Amino acid sequence: MSTQLHTWTWLTWLAATLVAISVTRNLFYLTLILLCLLVVYSFIEDANQRGAYPFSLLRFGILVSVLSMLFNMLISHFGETVFLTLPEEWPLIGGPYTLEALVYGLTNGLVLFGILIAFTDFNQAMPVRMLIRLIPRAFFPVAVVISIAVTFVPTTIRQFYQIKEAQMLRGQRMKSLRDWLPLVMPLLVGGLERALQLSEAMTARGFASAAPKGGNTAHRLAMVVSMLWVMAGWVVSTRAGWETLGLGLILAGALALLAALWWAGRQVPRTNYLKEKLRTGDAIVLMGIVVIGLALYFPFEWIDRSSLYYSVYPLLQWPDFDPWIGTALLGLGLPAYVIGLRKR
Amino acid sequence: MISFQDVTFTYPGASYPALQSINLEIPAGSFVLVMGLSGSGKSTLLRCMNGLVPHFSGGTLSGTIRVAEMDPVDASPQVMSRKIGFVFQDPEAQFVLDRVEDEVAFALENLALPPAEIRTRLDATLGLLGLTALRERRLDTLSGGERQRVALAAVMALNPSLLILDEPTSQLDPEAAETVLQTLVRLNRDLGLTILLAEHRLERVLPFVDRLIYLDSEPGRMLVGDPRQVLAEVDLVSPVVALGKYLGWQPLPLTVQEALPFAQLAQLPESSDVLISDIQATLPEPVLRIVDLHVFYGPKPILKGVNLSAQGGEVLALMGPNGAGKTTLLRSLIGLMKPEVGEILLLGESIAGKNTADLARLVGYLPQDPNALLFADRVLDELLYTLHSRAHQPHGHRQNSSADTDTSNAEKAAVMLAQMGMADLAEAYPRDLSVGQRQRVALAAIMVAQPRLLLLDEPTRGLDAAAKQRLADLLQTWRDDGHAIILVTHDVELVARLADRVAILEDGVISAQGKPVEVLAASPVFMPQVLQLFPDAGCLTPQQLINRLRST
Amino acid sequence: MKSRWLSPLIYLVCSLVGIVSLLYPFFLPQGTTGAQPGLQRSADMPLMLTVLLGLALLVLVYEVQGQAMNTKLIALLGVLVAINAALRFLEVAIPGPGGFSPVFFLIVLTGYVYGARFGFLMGVLTLLVSAILTGGVGPWLPSQMFTAGWVGMSAAILRPLLLGLHLKGQGEEIWILAGFGAFWGMMYGVIMNLWTWPFIAGPADQYWEYGVGIWETVQRYASYYLLTSLVWDIVRASGNFLLILGFGMPALRTLRRFKQRFTFIYKPTPSPVAQSNLSG
Repeated sequence: MSTQLHTWTWLTWLAATLVAISVTRNLFYLTLILLCLLVVYSFIEDANQRGAYPFSLLRFGILVSVLSMLFNMLISHFGETVFLTLPEEWPLIGGPYTLEALVYGLTNGLVLFGILIAFTDFNQAMPVRMLIRLIPRAFFPVAVVISIAVTFVPTTIRQFYQIKEAQMLRGQRMKSLRDWLPLVMPLLVGGLERALQLSEAMTARGFASAAPKGGNTAHRLAMVVSMLWVMAGWVVSTRAGWETLGLGLILAGALALLAALWWAGRQVPRTNYLKEKLRTGDAIVLMGIVVIGLALYFPFEWIDRSSLYYSVYPLLQWPDFDPWIGTALLGLGLPAYVIGLRKR
Repeated sequence: MISFQDVTFTYPGASYPALQSINLEIPAGSFVLVMGLSGSGKSTLLRCMNGLVPHFSGGTLSGTIRVAEMDPVDASPQVMSRKIGFVFQDPEAQFVLDRVEDEVAFALENLALPPAEIRTRLDATLGLLGLTALRERRLDTLSGGERQRVALAAVMALNPSLLILDEPTSQLDPEAAETVLQTLVRLNRDLGLTILLAEHRLERVLPFVDRLIYLDSEPGRMLVGDPRQVLAEVDLVSPVVALGKYLGWQPLPLTVQEALPFAQLAQLPESSDVLISDIQATLPEPVLRIVDLHVFYGPKPILKGVNLSAQGGEVLALMGPNGAGKTTLLRSLIGLMKPEVGEILLLGESIAGKNTADLARLVGYLPQDPNALLFADRVLDELLYTLHSRAHQPHGHRQNSSADTDTSNAEKAAVMLAQMGMADLAEAYPRDLSVGQRQRVALAAIMVAQPRLLLLDEPTRGLDAAAKQRLADLLQTWRDDGHAIILVTHDVELVARLADRVAILEDGVISAQGKPVEVLAASPVFMPQVLQLFPDAGCLTPQQLINRLRST
Repeated sequence: MKSRWLSPLIYLVCSLVGIVSLLYPFFLPQGTTGAQPGLQRSADMPLMLTVLLGLALLVLVYEVQGQAMNTKLIALLGVLVAINAALRFLEVAIPGPGGFSPVFFLIVLTGYVYGARFGFLMGVLTLLVSAILTGGVGPWLPSQMFTAGWVGMSAAILRPLLLGLHLKGQGEEIWILAGFGAFWGMMYGVIMNLWTWPFIAGPADQYWEYGVGIWETVQRYASYYLLTSLVWDIVRASGNFLLILGFGMPALRTLRRFKQRFTFIYKPTPSPVAQSNLSG
């Protein structure tokens, strides 16, 4: 089952989605983004079944939004459109309940929901092996561990059921905590034995456990320095007026860190035999993302960027809506379009 | 290609060496079979060749080894892996990745070969082993036989000159084993690959073997040479070879096909009375009765009207092709699958509505992997656990004072262990024991509760000939005590030795049922070797035939 | 060797970043929030700190991984993470008050028996793999991984402690481990809650205000915590306590039994024959 879009396309799309969500509190835009994400989700769901881990996304999202709404309404008492009042003496929840607080909570819930769907879409679209291949070479041993773990989870679950059945026939009943012992122990010991066998097989196939030539002191030093740089950048950015500088420092530090990781990765002699090709679908999605970037940041005069900054307080009113930004945001739904095309 | 000079090896903490003064020469291009009981050092010998012993296992090694012009002790297994491929026994514990082509390409990626070359080698290797259709499949959707072929592919991708396999088919059913072995023969013939194979199931492979190595349980005694010569001196052999030795057929036939000309010439007095074991099953109420059982798996019918019964004091063998429903039948018997239609009666009472733990009073079940049962620190504790669990049954047991119960449990456990010849293992850690011993511990833990009906699911996987014999003896003892035993197995020779009745399950129904001599004679797939050679003699095992010959 | 101080330095810096990215709401400088509410910057703050935490995590994992890992330990870690990730499905499947998580049992015990590095990776990778498999990869993952890693890593500190008190192998050992598990059960909840707080509460005018001062922030957090996470955390802490108490001893025995086989490294001993050949 090959992925519809290139790995990097999905990553960029994910990043764009997260940026779009964090940039605005405007209800219209947020709803638009959410709709796009949900559409993408429905298209991916059809195209790719990922295991039997039922998780009703919609219900969870609604739950989160409602909870956030209620929480905010109960706790915060600002705003001018009051619809209910509880006695002020009650701790925390006493005082006026305002519509503004409700809507604000709803907005927060939508933001969370959006982040959630964005990541879920990404997870659904990328098969696990692709995710593992994303892991940088510097982390090769850890990547192998993850591969092994992912490969062995189905085996472990199956073994668990076999053990459960076998023990049931000894008369074992699940009454107390202790009764789980005959289920858990064979699983653990079996796993350890299996690990020994696996490492033997890996060794026999030439899996190298020897350290590569050249130390990695320099790499680690570089990483620490970049980390300190990033920290410094953050501290700077919290001072009013120095935000841009701080942000720049953080960005630079992060890039330096990633460069150090890449440099460390060069030490590991490995190649990747899979070659993903960039296709038209990728181009379409990436173009859409560029358009979004332009709409949000490029100083065009005809785009009313203030509509992004919407506040519920002090008085509830309808948010503004700029059609250019709205159209650009629709670009987040492009993957659905591409997948839909491919299916036909 | 391979040369051992005076090699002696002792595992760390062992009191006597696993290998003693081994001398061996194996030329390139041979197909070598390594035989021997469990614990005789087969695995150790094979692992010496690619350096897993001593690098992976520890211990002290003396002597000189040269394999493919390298010294495995000096080089490491990683270096040896360029020239030597090693395939292990368990198809579930060899893979790092979850897809066929990723796994096969893994070793190549580790060598940092250019991607184009990896892809070429990948295609070639998958084609060589007939796996091209399966290349995008997830490994956990494959059968055991297919998985072993993938393991083969993973090592073949490195273009080794020597292939070593440690019991690769012992966890597989006969058809899958056949495929794997045929693949090996083809690799040896077509590519001139040197192959070293350790196996218990010999029959299929013997005609193609150039050289046989037999390791005796006493370290130091090793026989090497032409298969016919070595087998002439070894005791635990297949029925064909046993008959050939007794009847003096020369050159010693290795397979049924080779033996047929001799058998046709042999003069065997006709006999109409059929020699069978003389257990008279008097007909009380059968322990188990299955009436018109229909079981569905989702929408699909698996069992389509099974009628079967099992008496006390009888061993019933249940055989049949894969997918026929044997596992489903067993699972229905223990209450894990509910029938759509039909009834299962245990001692006259229907089991519908009872849960599995209740059934444990009457039914003992040995799963395919006995390791699933073993969790305690001592063998004795395993037996005590079963007894203790049963004491808490809601039905029927008198509640003695707990001190009394404990003492009586301890006694029962001790008696059981003594009966099975395992009294000296009472304090041992179960998971440190050999495969055969572990199975016996699991059996003890089940039988200590004295269930009327014992179910065994493929108990012969991974057992050597001696362990199988011990299992057969044990089952016969219990049968004589009055237990009813149902044995699900592919192992025809075991059935021939042991079963009182045979039932064949095919396509969801019992297609044949009756005395072994009748049922097995009528089924081409399940015919024991003795019957293949002498269809009219009415004997199932070489011992029976020899007895008949002696009596006339 | 000038590189010997490097390792502790890396641990220090990364832990610092971790702590900062969790505790920053309490320590932001007092100042004006004159910027418009709903401003882009303050919306970024929690996400940015998550990114920071993610970076620190990367460096820490790289450091713990070392230059190379023993093949046996890789296989061992892989299989144990698989078992733990499978156990995590139980957590998702159990209805009712959440919080109970079976994964800390193995994280604490493996850290205790196999050492800090192993325990750290066990924690980090359990969370990562179960997130990958359940599609639960999200911005909360870095802090989950970080905290779980710390659980495993800190468990290793108990080893010399208990050894020094001559408690190894005694009954008290399990009680102390169980208490440790309960402690981290609560702490994990407190930390994760700290992380989600700015998101849920939002960079709003009310309960997390950018620059309101430490005491006020603590109060607000306390009320948030009481309302949301306390019950969950108590369930989790008790769960850990009971699990370790119930299964700890046999599990410890098993892990120790295998320890020798997994950590042994082959050292070739010169054979007497070879030596006599050399000299003769």
